[in-house]
Amino acid sequence: MNIETEELELSYKDYKLDQPVKWCPGCGGHAVLSAVQKALPETGIEKEKVVFVSGIGCSSRFPYYINTYGFHSLHGRGAAIASGIKVANPNLSVWLVTGDGDSMAIGGNHFIHILRRNINVNILLFNNKIYGLTKGQYSPTTPLGSITKTSPDGTIESPFLPGELAMGAQGTFYARVVDTDPKMIKDVLVEAANHKGTSLVEILQNCIIFNNQVHSEITGKEVREDNQIYLEHGKPMIFGKNRDKGIIQVGQKFLVAKIGENGVRKEDILIHDAHNPDDTRHYMLSRMSLPDYPVAMGVIRACKSNVYEDMLHKQISLSKTREKVKNVNELLKSGNVFNIQ
Amino acid sequence: MKDIRLMKGNEAIAEAAIRAGADAYFGYPITPQSEVLEYLMSQKPEERTGMIVLQAESEVAVINMIYGGAGCGKKVMTSSSGPGISLMQEGISYIAGAELPCVIVNIERGGPGLGTIQPSQADYLQAVKGGGHGDYKLIVLAPASVQEMADFLSIAFNLAFKYRNPVMILSDGAIGQMMEKVEFSKQIPRNKIMPEWATTGKTPDREKNIITSIILDPEKQEIHNQKLQKKYREIEKNEVRFEKILCDDIEYLIIAFGTCSRVCQKSVQIAHEKGIKVGLIRPITLYPFPYHEINKMTDRLKGILTVEMNAGQMLEDVRLAVNGKLKVEFHGRMGGMIPTPEEVLDALEQKIIQRK
Repeated sequence: MNIETEELELSYKDYKLDQPVKWCPGCGGHAVLSAVQKALPETGIEKEKVVFVSGIGCSSRFPYYINTYGFHSLHGRGAAIASGIKVANPNLSVWLVTGDGDSMAIGGNHFIHILRRNINVNILLFNNKIYGLTKGQYSPTTPLGSITKTSPDGTIESPFLPGELAMGAQGTFYARVVDTDPKMIKDVLVEAANHKGTSLVEILQNCIIFNNQVHSEITGKEVREDNQIYLEHGKPMIFGKNRDKGIIQVGQKFLVAKIGENGVRKEDILIHDAHNPDDTRHYMLSRMSLPDYPVAMGVIRACKSNVYEDMLHKQISLSKTREKVKNVNELLKSGNVFNIQ
Repeated sequence: MKDIRLMKGNEAIAEAAIRAGADAYFGYPITPQSEVLEYLMSQKPEERTGMIVLQAESEVAVINMIYGGAGCGKKVMTSSSGPGISLMQEGISYIAGAELPCVIVNIERGGPGLGTIQPSQADYLQAVKGGGHGDYKLIVLAPASVQEMADFLSIAFNLAFKYRNPVMILSDGAIGQMMEKVEFSKQIPRNKIMPEWATTGKTPDREKNIITSIILDPEKQEIHNQKLQKKYREIEKNEVRFEKILCDDIEYLIIAFGTCSRVCQKSVQIAHEKGIKVGLIRPITLYPFPYHEINKMTDRLKGILTVEMNAGQMLEDVRLAVNGKLKVEFHGRMGGMIPTPEEVLDALEQKIIQRK
């Protein structure tokens, strides 16, 4: 008997909830949430398999606002919990939502180790460069010299760049997006979801209450085309309002050049190779900062490498085939056994 | 002229820290105590006394910075709330094992887990029975007002240095957040001379010294434990503090600490107006606990009600004190709720008085 079945396509509505979203009006989180809800149907992942894990902080309220399984966990430990979930049940699509406090401060240890192991988890790092939930203390990504509630004379600590850490931890996927460009977030998230291994997506997010306009030099309407460069694999690194600027390499350094000036031709502009296992250029791209360089957006690094849970389950299967003992009965009768007379 | 201010409990403990001549505060933001760190930063204590204030990357980092600072013989302290205090337990055990002085303030909130940000007393057992691993004790002080938040800080430092032992101030979100009048004592200068055990550098005239809690030889480890236990017996003999409120000629007794004791003080007043002969004992040191004082009173009492913002933790110590001589009942609220004076009185009448 043939039963006719209709294939239902998922839409963003399937991931929406009627729950009130308890982020401040104007918080960058709203745009990210909506972009995630739009990206998930495009990934082709079955909705029932999606799990959102978070730590503690404003961003970590995310699992309440999306219609999937959720895990609102411990401060900084989300990466470890996500690792546990993915290793225990590799069929799940695991997403970790974290912030610059959660993953760069207390969670720094777990953050580097999930990247090093390359467990197939997608990390959304909301970077608003401040502690929002505890109301405005500096975080490990707060720019040097910032005045906050706990740094009345300005911070004296150099901030972390999450991309730098990702490369240092042998990360295989790193992308950067801004909360003002939902389409950019959506496109990058689909790529992150398709990547095999840990994907780190850093989202430059505005905290309207405690760190308003922290990214405005990058995201402002007037400046964004000149101050951001959107990188796409296989395409030249061109940016600017008039699409006439690009990145060239001179010796060990990147330089911003204007096409047509000083003999720079379009062919001289570097082609972005996100898939290159050598992370030297990815590292340099992730470090580009204003005012000398535009800030790199899009997928900066996406290279193939061994995935931890695949290796683990392969090892288990291999051990099973090698092992002579196949069940408990055989185990009990193996080794030194004797009969009681 | 008196120095009287209207302040939050969290701010009072921070101001008191500067005035007590503290050398360093290490902390990490967590509600409901972030004001301690924020107030200290805003006061620029490095200019007032030379005191250092540092926001660490986590509470695990904090307690180990404390371990380092305490090892230098400095007056060091931190404050946090339940989840952060739990993260510190490993370090606290090491500090107690290495016999170093420090002050740790817990502005408790409802648990378990991340729980709520409202006040609670559910970290009592963690504070008085260990919390970390191994046989060690913290001296635990329980303030019941903003004034005591300030006063207990210098007492805590004195006890910490007297016994070379960590001291915990166990308070809660209600006292931390509420504003009251508080009178401050004069500025105490920071210590210039470090204790002889302190890490100050190995000059030719000094013996080599390693600060550690690791003694792998079990015979030596037992001797070290015996030394610690001897110290704890000294503390139990010398440092018990409590307050008796309206305890003359009473039939019933309420026992409560911190915020609950404030609530119960009102319950006792209402009870007296109604002709119920009930008094209140407020343990100020939760370790050492006033076992002896409570035990002494049991013969002339008809019943005891223990009131706490938890599921009944100090209750275990009260029952140990009474040692089966009298029925002890309990009234508690959990998860960030505070009992009212009326509900405490109701509990007393229903659970203790009407039984007779």
